[in-house]
Amino acid sequence: MMETKDKIIVKGVSFFYGRNQVLNNIHAKFAEHTITAITGPSGQGKSTLLGLFNCMWDEIPGARGSGEIRIRLGDEWVSPLKKDIPLPLLRRKVALIFQEPNPLPMSIARNMAFPLMLAGVRDKSIVAAKVQKALSQAFLWEEVKDRLEESALDLSGGQKQRLCIARALVLEPEVLLCDEPTSSLDARAAGIIEDLLVRLRSQCTLLVVSHYMDQVRRVADEVMTLQDQNLRRI
Amino acid sequence: MRASKETVAKGIFLFCAMASAVIIASILLFMVALGLPLFKGGAFFSVWTGAWAPHQGYYGIWPMIAGTLWIATLAMALCLPLSLGASFVITSLGGPRLRRMLNALVRFMTGIPTVIYGFVGIFLLVPLIREGFGGAGMCVLAAGIILAVLISPTMVLFFSDSLQSVDPANVQAAKALGADRVQRLLYVMLPKAFGGLASGFILALGRALGDTLIALMLAGNAVRAPHGLLEPARTLTAHIALVKAADFDSLEFRSIFACGIALYLFTTAATVAVRWIERERMMVP
Amino acid sequence: MIHNLAEKVVLFFSWVTTLVLGLSVSIFLGYLLWKGFPSLGPKLIFGQADPLMAVLGRVRVFDGIFPAIAGTICLVGLSAGLALPVGVCSGIYLAEYAGPGMKKLLGILFDILAGIPSIVIGLFGFSLAVFLHRHFSSRVGPCLLISAVSLAVLVLPYIVRSTQRSLEELPAGIRKTALALGASKLQNIAYVLIPNALSGISSGVILAIGRCAEDTAVILLTGVVATAGIPSSLLSQYEALPFYIYYISNQYSSRAELSQGYGACLILLVICAVLFMLAYGMTKHLSYRTLYRA
Repeated sequence: MMETKDKIIVKGVSFFYGRNQVLNNIHAKFAEHTITAITGPSGQGKSTLLGLFNCMWDEIPGARGSGEIRIRLGDEWVSPLKKDIPLPLLRRKVALIFQEPNPLPMSIARNMAFPLMLAGVRDKSIVAAKVQKALSQAFLWEEVKDRLEESALDLSGGQKQRLCIARALVLEPEVLLCDEPTSSLDARAAGIIEDLLVRLRSQCTLLVVSHYMDQVRRVADEVMTLQDQNLRRI
Repeated sequence: MRASKETVAKGIFLFCAMASAVIIASILLFMVALGLPLFKGGAFFSVWTGAWAPHQGYYGIWPMIAGTLWIATLAMALCLPLSLGASFVITSLGGPRLRRMLNALVRFMTGIPTVIYGFVGIFLLVPLIREGFGGAGMCVLAAGIILAVLISPTMVLFFSDSLQSVDPANVQAAKALGADRVQRLLYVMLPKAFGGLASGFILALGRALGDTLIALMLAGNAVRAPHGLLEPARTLTAHIALVKAADFDSLEFRSIFACGIALYLFTTAATVAVRWIERERMMVP
Repeated sequence: MIHNLAEKVVLFFSWVTTLVLGLSVSIFLGYLLWKGFPSLGPKLIFGQADPLMAVLGRVRVFDGIFPAIAGTICLVGLSAGLALPVGVCSGIYLAEYAGPGMKKLLGILFDILAGIPSIVIGLFGFSLAVFLHRHFSSRVGPCLLISAVSLAVLVLPYIVRSTQRSLEELPAGIRKTALALGASKLQNIAYVLIPNALSGISSGVILAIGRCAEDTAVILLTGVVATAGIPSSLLSQYEALPFYIYYISNQYSSRAELSQGYGACLILLVICAVLFMLAYGMTKHLSYRTLYRA
């Protein structure tokens, strides 16, 4: 039996916006290739918690964190709080899916190629191959393969969110952070996304923030709740 | 009782708006009316294209048009890269403290009166040019440089506004995908802000064409069209300021109204162009 | 960070140009302070005259800039007094009463006005003076009144635009509240909308005042002269600070006079910079609550 290794370790992490404390002395471990759901009342800092792993808070004035976070990428451990890895590199391996789908105002093809372009991948055949692979992984290839040059803004809500997931997958991230990925979608679209997330477990480690307890039950291996600035397993 | 107070108030408001409109229209009217003697007798085209030599009966304002174009073009050529680069730093490339400082600095600069720019230009820049390049020092180059510094702050603010009004969701998306500051700027903000940048450019051009004091104080005011950066020139605006001392009924004097008409038309064209661009931008989702 | 050539160029270029801009401003201001600071003091303003007597108008100041300062103050007060009511009322009309066609037409006209070079406005004022001189009374010529009217025309668009914009950008909820309680349109405007839009309107007014204080082109053609003492009547010629500076740059006859010019620059700079910073401070306060518009 294979030992499940830890992917993310959180020790004694506290977080402040200015003088406002949002997280207090958080401890957690996330095993690789698992889906951990993070639930809890609104406005308690779940999005902030997710943002700690890919440093999305770095340009907010007054935001600061203390404690230790370690993420194993490949064979090495990095510490996002200490910013010992360049942030763009971090964000390619630790991807974030937003609550509100945010395709860029470009064609589907260019949306998909965008992260590759940022990372310096220019060979067109490599780009095309990676784009197709990612779209297939996101259950979107069949639906859009004939309209790759059309604007991404014309897709339905569910398709947009799948596009955003595919776009994040194109760089083969090791951790996928999902901030309420289905809350702006209807039930059917949400169901497709849930299947997708479960499938992705074999490739990534997922942290999913969710309000919907039934979704959590369907999807998650572990459940934690963020309440009163503290994270507890349930 | 209340009804009539309402209508009176509405009437007052309407009257003010109408009065303003009438004033704007009458500005052009006055100038055409007073400049008319200059155009009579078939002299219409030579006014715009002829040379200026009042003692010989030539009242062409072409040298002034040329002077205006030379100085404005130089100023825009210097100002555009300066403002673009500074607005890039202010909106994305700089750290938060630097951005705040630069923003405050630029805002402060917009409050500096034009005449002060001219004054410092005369006593600081002109001697430098004289020493470095020879000649009198008062030339197109001097006026162009100071004019560029004068217009840059307003342009920087305008560019920054346009860049920052791009949908933040798009910028966040790019950030989460690993784009750093310059990449976010180049690939997300700049393409979307292009229309706003174009309007800012045209507005600044309008200001460059219409400025009086810088050219008056720094460009030398010779009445020949310039052929090089180090030659003196006179702009339409400076001409108006200089000729007012002449005898009112002379044709020489009337030429200033021709200058006024030219300026009015240039700047109106610029204004309309900007409104057109803005309207096009609002159409695109 | 893998940067291709384009990204590297943009980075380099941006930082260099910002540095150039920053340096030129610093040199500019530094030079001005260095040259102008020594001449600051009561002698600059009042010359040989006793300050108290000069302010009371009993004694004429010949070699100080007090008359110019007084002229500028009168000018600004007068033009603001003319432009404010007309501008605010026009702005109210545009925001609250005008139909879309009218809004567009007047909008274009005001934009055109805003773009007209100040010297052309001065020309208009001058033409006005000529017209009045010929057809009304030969006592009328370029003077304080004509300059004030011209300056009012110059700054009208600032006031109209900021009034219109601040009213239009009020949140929809505020508009409906008083109406739902039975207020008439006029009452809504007077008691709810204007008070809430006040910071935006004030910033437009302060910008207009600053513009009047610094303008030179308009007053060149409409009545400013180098020596006239403090303004004696609306129909008289007058002195003004910006013109004084221009005049000195052209006609200074001694190092002392030049030094006074620098001092005058500093004083004018402080006045205008304070006014503009005030205006922007107020606009910032308003824009937190509004949608961003370029």
